Amino acid sequence: MKLDAYRRELRGEVRRLVHDPVLLGIVGIVFLLLAVFIVFPLVKVIQHSIWHQGAFQPRYFVEFFQKTYYWRPLINSLIVGGLVSLCGTIVAFIFAYGIARTDIPGKGFFRLIAMMPIVSPPFLIALAAILLLGNHGVITEALKLKWDIYGLSGLVLTETLAYFPIAFMILEGVLSKIDPSIEEAALDMGASKLRTFFTVTLPLAVPGIASAMLLVFIRSLEDFGNPVVIQGRFRVLTVAIYHAAVGRYNLPLGATLAIFMLLPTLMIFVVQKYYVARRSYVTVTGKPSGIGLKTIEKRIKIPIFIAMSLLAGGILLMYGVVLFGSFTKLWGYDNSLTWANYRYVFSVGGQYIWDTLKIALIATPVGGLLSIMIAYLVVRKRFIGRGAMEFTSMLNFAVPGVVVGIGYVLAFNTPPVQLTGTALIIILVFIFRRMPVGIRDGIAQLQQIDPAIEEASSSLGAGFFRTFTRVTLPLVAPAFLSGLVYIFVRCMTAISAVIFVVSAGWQLLTVALLYEVDQANLAAAAAYGYVIIGIVLSAIVLMRFVVSRLFRGRLAPLGGE
Amino acid sequence: MAKGKALGLLMLLVAGLALSGAAAEVLTIYTAYDADQAQVYIEAFEATHPDIDVEWVRLSSGEVYTRLLAEAANPQASLWFGGSNTSHIAAAKAGLLEPYKESLAWQYISPQFKDPDGLWIGLYVGYIGFVSNTEFLAEVGAEAPTSWQDLLKPEFKGEITIAYAFASGTAYTTLAGMLTAIGSSDPGFDEEDEAYVAAFNEQVGQYNSSGSAAATMVGLGEFGVGCVFSHDIVKKAIAKGYPVVMTFPAEGTSYEIGGMALIKGGPQLELAKVFYDWAMTKEAQDLYEQFFRLPLNPEAVLAEGSVKATDVNVLPIDLVWYGDNKDAMLDEWSEITGEY
Repeated sequence: MKLDAYRRELRGEVRRLVHDPVLLGIVGIVFLLLAVFIVFPLVKVIQHSIWHQGAFQPRYFVEFFQKTYYWRPLINSLIVGGLVSLCGTIVAFIFAYGIARTDIPGKGFFRLIAMMPIVSPPFLIALAAILLLGNHGVITEALKLKWDIYGLSGLVLTETLAYFPIAFMILEGVLSKIDPSIEEAALDMGASKLRTFFTVTLPLAVPGIASAMLLVFIRSLEDFGNPVVIQGRFRVLTVAIYHAAVGRYNLPLGATLAIFMLLPTLMIFVVQKYYVARRSYVTVTGKPSGIGLKTIEKRIKIPIFIAMSLLAGGILLMYGVVLFGSFTKLWGYDNSLTWANYRYVFSVGGQYIWDTLKIALIATPVGGLLSIMIAYLVVRKRFIGRGAMEFTSMLNFAVPGVVVGIGYVLAFNTPPVQLTGTALIIILVFIFRRMPVGIRDGIAQLQQIDPAIEEASSSLGAGFFRTFTRVTLPLVAPAFLSGLVYIFVRCMTAISAVIFVVSAGWQLLTVALLYEVDQANLAAAAAYGYVIIGIVLSAIVLMRFVVSRLFRGRLAPLGGE
Repeated sequence: MAKGKALGLLMLLVAGLALSGAAAEVLTIYTAYDADQAQVYIEAFEATHPDIDVEWVRLSSGEVYTRLLAEAANPQASLWFGGSNTSHIAAAKAGLLEPYKESLAWQYISPQFKDPDGLWIGLYVGYIGFVSNTEFLAEVGAEAPTSWQDLLKPEFKGEITIAYAFASGTAYTTLAGMLTAIGSSDPGFDEEDEAYVAAFNEQVGQYNSSGSAAATMVGLGEFGVGCVFSHDIVKKAIAKGYPVVMTFPAEGTSYEIGGMALIKGGPQLELAKVFYDWAMTKEAQDLYEQFFRLPLNPEAVLAEGSVKATDVNVLPIDLVWYGDNKDAMLDEWSEITGEY
């Protein structure tokens, strides 16, 4: 009985596709793109790890367990990930609670600080850590510290600061959307504020906390830039994969290590998406009934405010020291101010700036449109393989950048699809790496629109494409354009995947920055960092301006809420 | 409709950006010189050859070798400019280089500084030295190292910085020196060499990818001691005024021949030959003076303050052997150090 109903539904879906050839074409193209640029590289990685010189030879899988220096980096990565997710979530919770649930002053300022690491190249914080806490750092010298920043402590410090904004965004959302009437009920029944917090508030926030911890864990696992700078002898897996592939051209080893990197991230992704996210206890679309409960007791507020101020101060200090460093002649030795570093960046790095902008400006709109298209297909249309399309396009959430990088090298170095050395391969990496976020945001934007509007369009005779371009796109335009900025920012600050695919013809700013750090040209690296930050901030401001001009008075989304 | 036009214009702009950059003739090269140095040499070439536009990527010697391996089916660059020739030798053995004996320079370069089949030629020589931060030495009460064994002193634990042997010509040349100086001087690892490299590995605080960076890091005081080519120590630390001292191992130090080669199957080999010929001229090699390198063109100027063959004890290292056996040596090095 069930089989018949299933078969009937399937036939219905196929018939629907056949009757709308444009939709069929687009679905087909999307599937092809996903297959070639997401699935194929992963398949090549798996293939290279077990198939070597024409024979089944999982040599490195066996050796992985035998040689300490193969499995040690995985353990190290997991240790760092665990510590960073713990510390990052704690820091984020302090910020989120302070902003969402108390009436402390300066919330806008704190929120800005919490988002700063997002707009800069992540490993800028590692650079700051060296400038401040390195063996010859400002704080080290001033306080005569004996702390070796190269290693586990440096990794935890830099990655916590780099990735806590992710946890912050989740936790702020969760804490501000908890229905206060539940807490009020508890208080009415005589529970103290503290008891309410631990028995009502915190349990409601647990899925959010778990999501935050898991997502920060993944980001820490896949971090490449910070470890390259500050890992010292505490090797992590991302750097090991990079050295195996690019340093020794030992692709089977690189591929095998990549598999071992992929297993934990995939597991965590699946757990987060299919287990934790389903158990969200907060209402997503509903507005809280009444004004949220604000904590106003001084004995809670003041410590939180102090903690937040210290953290904010630390972050500002880090960005400040890098800014200062970019103007010094010879960091640590001759601190006289000069424009020389910026001159250097714009001369030697001028071509890099141009290359990076060109590539980012192509990848951003293309990636954005592709994402919203896929989001539209997934949300609005029923067709065969819809679930597969959604899963595949979200896959890159779980795949670390270095795995994508080595996958693209393996997949596109030889015919039939030979793209190494071109700008196209970098553009493709950007588009498909950013796609999961773009799709998720696209889905959220589309859910704001009442399908009735689109149904009206199609019942008037407009095909899928017409409806999409004439009705849907204009409605999501403001949020869509703002989303584009996020893609652009990530293009400007990405490193872990693209470092595998840069070439003679096309260099990127983040790779140039990393080179300067490797050369210990810290002042030049700082200058590169701020050039990137400058470009990103300009883009954000520009887009805000464009959106507000183009959509004056049209910012409110139509339709159901 | 205005929006449609605006969108169309935007797309045109994007397409225009993509297609822009049509230039004169373009020569793509890989260079192992530090980026700021490479810029000096390449700009000098472009100044005398205005019709050739050079696109270059900076990679350490070992990284160039790896890049050529990766691109063997579809070479992106035509010339390999600079870097320790042990990597050039390894690449020649792997069939990645193009012979070129017709250049004028071929005549006056002695046989020890060029490949017999014309697959690579020597540009300069350099000697490995030890650079130590004087403030660090005062703090721990140590003397600057004057022998390979001195590097194993307990005061230097975690204070030494050097590049990965697989990435950097500096580091591989240093390794070759260690293997020759310690134990028997036959090429390759013997038991004493293995013990030494293992002990040295414990002394290293951080490995990086670029050999000359150690001079800067020691100058800054991030680390106490580094093993770097003397021309880089002079240029990047002493000439900059950092508090450092340069010493050499008494048993004898390691040396490199900086090499240049045409890349087999490179897309612009004729242009590459123009650059190749230029790089061997006195005008080009005079540029080495400001970087304290020792040019192999006998007419070029030698810098004051550069370290010459007569200043140091040089080990009898079989560079050709170390080039031919680079992969095996690096495998063994990875086994011992746990770094790869």
